[in-house]
Amino acid sequence: MELFSTESKKIVTDPLNVNNPISLQVLGICSALAVTIRVDQAIIMTFAVIFVLCSSNVAISLLKDHIPSRVRIVIMLAIIAGLVSFVDEVLKAYLYDMSKQLSVFVGLIVTNCIIMGRAEAFAIKHGPSKAFLDGLGNGLGYGMMIILVSFFRELFGAGTITLPNGGAGYVLFSIERDVEWLINAGYENIGLLVLSPGAFFILGLVIWVQREIAGLEEEE
Amino acid sequence: MHSNRYTLFFVFIITVVLGTLLSVTKENLKLKQEDNLRADVNKTILRSLDFSEEEDNPWSNEKVEEIFNNSIVGLCVDSEGNKIDNVVLEEIDIEKDIERLPVYLKVIDDELQGVALPVAGKGLWSTLFGYIALGPDLDTVLGIQFYKHGETPGLGGEVEKEWFTNNFVGKKIRNVEGEIIGIKVLKGKVDDSKEDAIHQVDGISGATVTSNGVTIFLKDDLKRYEAYLNEIRENGII
Repeated sequence: MELFSTESKKIVTDPLNVNNPISLQVLGICSALAVTIRVDQAIIMTFAVIFVLCSSNVAISLLKDHIPSRVRIVIMLAIIAGLVSFVDEVLKAYLYDMSKQLSVFVGLIVTNCIIMGRAEAFAIKHGPSKAFLDGLGNGLGYGMMIILVSFFRELFGAGTITLPNGGAGYVLFSIERDVEWLINAGYENIGLLVLSPGAFFILGLVIWVQREIAGLEEEE
Repeated sequence: MHSNRYTLFFVFIITVVLGTLLSVTKENLKLKQEDNLRADVNKTILRSLDFSEEEDNPWSNEKVEEIFNNSIVGLCVDSEGNKIDNVVLEEIDIEKDIERLPVYLKVIDDELQGVALPVAGKGLWSTLFGYIALGPDLDTVLGIQFYKHGETPGLGGEVEKEWFTNNFVGKKIRNVEGEIIGIKVLKGKVDDSKEDAIHQVDGISGATVTSNGVTIFLKDDLKRYEAYLNEIRENGII
């Protein structure tokens, strides 16, 4: 298979657009609610998920002819859990503050439906290079969505935009610091957006807008 | 369909391979992780003692160590207020060891500016670990910081947030008679017109068990240091 053929391009770009794991497949919603409070957390989480998704897809695709089908789910889970533990250890060593904030959520990548879903739906049936591209595409699609959601949640919920920087994060923009007149005019952050229900509202709006643009309609 | 023997064999191999990979990773990263952990605890002590890092320029592990070595004196005392020598402070089990009590003094230009004491106790799900710092009068709270807990994020987990810890600053841990009574985390807001307001802070709504836990272990842990704190009050640093 050509790495840059139309087909491989489609595998990567589909999940970004018409087959997005979060907004259209509606997979991985649980973590989309948890790690979208701040942009920097969403970005780090994206890298972690892309890494785990690509490597688990490749590993499972390489082993696909050898995995006994009766225990395939257990094997997939073991591989995914091993990779996630690996990411967790690396974060603890090099991005300590970030790992403190993400702590449970990194562990929860194991139960992120996208990873298991792609392993079972794609990797086990395709070759390693296609599986890798599928992992990359779905990881990017997931990341794009959670970064988008976290952008709105952080901007309107906490009034800041934070980029990853060592751990504590670098405050790129802060309404309180940069747009003083707005605060003086009585502007207040929407506290609801910081809580989990806030993510549901934003996610719902994003899904609506995307379906409207893609011209998708609910099947009768 | 694969045979049972093959299935068992395959599962066994996968387990061994993954197990080996993970233990190699852990071994290689262990030192770095322990460094981070120690720096994090020291950072907590510094923050409670009113050192603050600039927002754009967070402390590195080395910076924490530098400030710590320059301005903090660590020592160990017993519940009678006597100094115990030759103790590695990091090895003391803060939650269980009630005979060896670590103390961190903030001394700048030979003047005592604050005392940080470890506090630990049960919240709702987990044990909370932190430091409370008292000013030179050994009565006014300089700051409180938590570095480890497993409480619900957004509820009990709020203990580590600034809005909660800032409430403690300036509160008094002793009553008029000079006896240590701790700080009470209320259910709801503090009524400033009440006489007791100086010993109380706002509670976390939805986290009553965590709040009560904090109240209880603050009092218990501070009590343990009463003898030592009175000792410094009378005789200066020993």
